[in-house]
Amino acid sequence: MTLGLDIAESARIAWSAIIANKGRGALTTLGIIIGIVAVITTMTAANGLANSFRQSFSAVGSDVVYVSRMPWVIVGDFFLYRNRPAVSLQEADELAENLRGRAVVNPSIDTNRPVRYRETTVESANIIGTTEKQIVVSSAVPETGRFLMSFDLQYRRPVCVIGHEIWERLFGEADPLNEEIRVGRHSCRVIGVMEKQGSSFFGGPNFDLQIFIPVSTFEKNFGGRTSGRDVNIAVKAPSQEAIAELEYEIIGEMRKVRGLRPGEEDNFSINKLDTLVDAYNNVMGVVLLVGLLVTGISLFVGGVGVMNIMFVSVTERTREIGIRKAIGAKRRSILMQFIFEAGAICLFGGLAGILLAWLVTLLIDATLMPASMSLPIVFMALLISLIVGVLAGIVPAFKGARQDPIEALRYE
Amino acid sequence: MNAARESVATGDRPPTLVIQDIVKTYVMGESEVRALRGVSLTIDRNDYVAIMGPSGSGKSTLMNMIGCLDTPTSGTYLLEGQSVSEMSDDELAEIRNRQIGFVFQTFNLLPRANVLHNVELPLIYAGVPRAERRKRAEAAIARVGLADRAHHKPNELSGGQRQRVAVARALVGNPSIILADEPTGNLDSKTGAEIMRMLDELHAAGQTIILITHEDEIAAHAGRIIRLRDGVIESDVTNGSPP
Repeated sequence: MTLGLDIAESARIAWSAIIANKGRGALTTLGIIIGIVAVITTMTAANGLANSFRQSFSAVGSDVVYVSRMPWVIVGDFFLYRNRPAVSLQEADELAENLRGRAVVNPSIDTNRPVRYRETTVESANIIGTTEKQIVVSSAVPETGRFLMSFDLQYRRPVCVIGHEIWERLFGEADPLNEEIRVGRHSCRVIGVMEKQGSSFFGGPNFDLQIFIPVSTFEKNFGGRTSGRDVNIAVKAPSQEAIAELEYEIIGEMRKVRGLRPGEEDNFSINKLDTLVDAYNNVMGVVLLVGLLVTGISLFVGGVGVMNIMFVSVTERTREIGIRKAIGAKRRSILMQFIFEAGAICLFGGLAGILLAWLVTLLIDATLMPASMSLPIVFMALLISLIVGVLAGIVPAFKGARQDPIEALRYE
Repeated sequence: MNAARESVATGDRPPTLVIQDIVKTYVMGESEVRALRGVSLTIDRNDYVAIMGPSGSGKSTLMNMIGCLDTPTSGTYLLEGQSVSEMSDDELAEIRNRQIGFVFQTFNLLPRANVLHNVELPLIYAGVPRAERRKRAEAAIARVGLADRAHHKPNELSGGQRQRVAVARALVGNPSIILADEPTGNLDSKTGAEIMRMLDELHAAGQTIILITHEDEIAAHAGRIIRLRDGVIESDVTNGSPP
């Protein structure tokens, strides 16, 4: 008997068997459906998180190193970092001087203030004092108007470049250029609007709610050089490859600036995108692992359900097996018949699960975070359900295939 | 198989079936049951043989043996010159598929498949391509006079019609032997007679037929009657030309 005919006949048998036991099949597939929904939702959620993470930090270049008082991700005892001296603008200037020609250095300092335009207020905008080099160390550029320039800094001009969402919320559709807004208690003229950087990652900064002002203006208005406010120093490497080496140079120069003796520990932190990515991957790894574990358990339970039903199916059809064997069905044919049936049941479950998961994904997308079901995930879900079906079908199918035809024909 | 067919034309084929000293012993718990205690028989092409015997005589065991559903404990069985005694399950399945056409007392049709599919089944397992399969199955169904019932399910047919479907299924693969186990056992005498007439016709057309029965009236259709008792052949009588 050729394989093609075997498959055709097996498919035919599986189909008629499932049709004959619709109710039972539907109940059996429930376990698989739940399992597949869990698989897809887990994967989709993980994908959505990863995407929104990447989007959130797209402005943080991967060739940029940040020098700050605290590490972005604190591992271990927070109090070890708490007593470190704040990074000051003075130190930033000295570091910039020492690294001149080797890297671009941009200090920034921030605070949160309400901003107001006429009657509209945004309660808490992130006010960042920075220099014209900000657009060198970050990938974000102004959408309209211009960014800060050196003369803005030199003359401490009361100008600002606002984030996309600030513009939307304060001005709606109106042209903001050269309008005066109130930043805290100070007046500020809008000279540019940054391009939209996308929705924010959970708990991460919203880059569209930022307002850039010259760092000199910041100092004048909000204090800086002496206020103990933390300065972030962004250092951009000339190339991606140079970043590892640059990191050591920065540590060395910064230690010099701070006058640390050999043997003393660094009292500042070097941060980079990798640190965040690593931390994110660690967390997501655990989340995914737990998710897949739960998913795996539900699929396992579903598979056991299918196996159970397949045992029933094999026993019910003992006589049919006897007839088929008497007229020439080999073990392989019987084996395939039942594996096909189990596979088909699970595949139906998988399809239903995909449909349901699609609805769940839409719901997540509408409420929690941007999420979409990708084709590879759909294919993977189908493959998984097929594999579960085949695995669940194997043992019952062997039981059927091994039947002695004489015994089977006698079965009532 | 093709080689065997060719030799029909030259007339030097071995007998359809040669059984020698077949012993079948079942182990049931502690005790051994000797169902067959040394049976030898030869059946030629176009023979019409009835195997009779009371229950416990070993006739079912012998039928299973001839039908290649079971292998003997000792002794040899040559079917169309092929030794069947030591074949594996799958080899036996293939032999059954090609050489044996079963007609059972309880019909044994697949309840969910229609007549056509039931009759096609042996050809499916023989790997016959779809178009040819369909043609041969339809021819076999027409031969038993059920052409207008081809798309009915077994439960839509009468007992006699079901048994005719079984006959069509038995002969569709051109088997060497049609093995009919109490073919009229579940039928009233009138439809039973119809089925027997059909088997007679098949025999007249050159088919080798082996009947398992306990009814003298049915056995009378056969040209040769073998009686079993206690696992041995009690008598083997050829009563001239069958009716």
